[in-house]
Amino acid sequence: MDGALLAALFDILQPYNILASVVGVLFGLFIGSTPGLTISLGMVLLLPITFKLEAVTSICLLLGLYASGMAGGSLSAILLNIPGTPSASATAIDGHVMAQKGRAGEAMGVAVSASFFGGIFGLTCLVLAAPIIAKFALNFGAPELFAIVLLGLTLICSFGQESVVKGLISGVIGLIIMTVGLDPMMGTPRFTFGEVELQAGISFLPAMIGLFAIPQILVGIAGKIPVIPKYQEDVSGVLPKIKDLLKLVKTMLLGSVIGTGIGAIPGAGGPIAVFLSYDYSKKISKHGHRYGKGEPEGVAAPESSNNAVAGGALIPMLTLGIPGDPITAILLGALMIHGLIPGPLLFQQSPQFVYSVFWAFLVANLMTLIIAFSTIKIWVRVLKVPQRVLLPLIVILCIVGTYALRNTFFDTGIMFGFGLLGYFMKKCGFPIVPMLLAIILGPNLEEHLRMSLIISQGDYSIFITHPICLALIIVSIVSFIGPLVWPLIRKYRGNT
Amino acid sequence: MKRANIVASLLLIALACFYAYLTSRLPDRNLPNTLGSDFMPWLLTTVLFLLSFWLLLQNCVQGTTENFNPDISIKEGLGIVFLTVFIYLYVKAIQFFGFILITPLFLAVLMWISGSRKWKEIVFVSIGSSFCIYLFFQKIFRVILPDGTIF
Repeated sequence: MDGALLAALFDILQPYNILASVVGVLFGLFIGSTPGLTISLGMVLLLPITFKLEAVTSICLLLGLYASGMAGGSLSAILLNIPGTPSASATAIDGHVMAQKGRAGEAMGVAVSASFFGGIFGLTCLVLAAPIIAKFALNFGAPELFAIVLLGLTLICSFGQESVVKGLISGVIGLIIMTVGLDPMMGTPRFTFGEVELQAGISFLPAMIGLFAIPQILVGIAGKIPVIPKYQEDVSGVLPKIKDLLKLVKTMLLGSVIGTGIGAIPGAGGPIAVFLSYDYSKKISKHGHRYGKGEPEGVAAPESSNNAVAGGALIPMLTLGIPGDPITAILLGALMIHGLIPGPLLFQQSPQFVYSVFWAFLVANLMTLIIAFSTIKIWVRVLKVPQRVLLPLIVILCIVGTYALRNTFFDTGIMFGFGLLGYFMKKCGFPIVPMLLAIILGPNLEEHLRMSLIISQGDYSIFITHPICLALIIVSIVSFIGPLVWPLIRKYRGNT
Repeated sequence: MKRANIVASLLLIALACFYAYLTSRLPDRNLPNTLGSDFMPWLLTTVLFLLSFWLLLQNCVQGTTENFNPDISIKEGLGIVFLTVFIYLYVKAIQFFGFILITPLFLAVLMWISGSRKWKEIVFVSIGSSFCIYLFFQKIFRVILPDGTIF
């Protein structure tokens, strides 16, 4: 174990891996600080590059983007009052007021420092919890794995959506899309319409790029609707004083605990964590009355929380193969491209890779701290890059990225199909994240379900006789049916 | 919004019916005591149908409190059609001219459509970024870019 840990460290410290981490951090800061461009979009744009890289180098690149994108998201939240990422929403409340009072530099300094604190806290929890969960999960067979995937899907589809039915429909359509191609057990072609390219199924990369990038391009270029605003002023004084940071430790700790906990729950995600952190820190703070009026604690709490979410979300992703949020879903896809299947077996079969992920996440957080502080003024200028330049470039990157997958424009067509679907789904209020997760997890769901029934020779009681499986299925059913039925019960009680 | 949800739910019911029709035509090849390749599609058809019907019922009976804007202006609709056709033509043109020749032209037109009117900006960004993408993808990361008949 120690040998693998040291070997992983040695691997991560190779110049090309450090370089990948730096590139990831720079790209993440760019993506995060540009409103309208999300970390998920950044990830899918970088994925084609990772095809030719080693798995460890790819993970350095993507984790660099993940860690820095979260920190970068706060810059536009503070300067423009427009969060660069959804997880930076709560930062805008006090951060922007500080900027209006001429304290933009101080707010950004607190945001970057708190992001680092949260990132390291999340990483510590990941390192401590992941091996224990993975060891426990090694006892899981096909029925338990089916139940875990089912639970992950139902939680993500039903939790945090404005309309639960629409979240569930989005997830089911994602599962339907994944039935295209050869049947995983019998090899029977399904819904291929005679197309050879469809026999391998629909790759999740074009689907991800299409769902995340194309709707934005359509709105921005075709609809001529501004999706990327500009900022005109400069900032100074970003390095915070140590004594000022020490005053924020309690707030950052609270934010980090909430962030890690929420991040580890599939489907809960960053936006929930940041608002919970903001709210709780306001309640326990001596300066609660100053929240909303430019209080640094109001920046530190959500910022530490959103970076801790990253560490928390990696726990179920690495140990159970269930992504905690859309970004870890894309990370999961990236690992699958390299033939690495996250789950308990990953810890047994590739321990060195798992340790590499831990080290890469540490390096990513350190790099974010160093690079963000030294280049913060550049990212302020990035906010001046106009939409008319950025969006056409994203179109090209999307086309190149999908072509590079299998050197065919068929996937480019698939991407645009998903893009149009994503556009209309957004217009009609259907969330796209459940669909994305269903596309990634769908094949596992079917495979584990059918494998369980082969083991039991078609006896469905296998899902009841395994206690962990039964418990997980009950929770899945409650999370599936509960949000649909609960409003009706409440309404009935209200009437009586 | 209520009307949009009703239309969406009717379309989804139609999709569920179409998917059921396709599922019914799947070949019946199976091992004894195991689920066939049509098990999952039938399960998904049923769930999609039930959820779509629930959405329809919910909106017909109690309406919706959701906040979304389903309207697409004629300008936006035409813009989407034009952009889709333009990108399709670009993909076709790549297969003849090759990525490096056609991309600067495509980018220049797309920037102009996006509202850029400074010719220096258009020329610099379209040629510079095409070259950078070629350099990073093809030369540094060895990711194959699309070739054309003439380049």
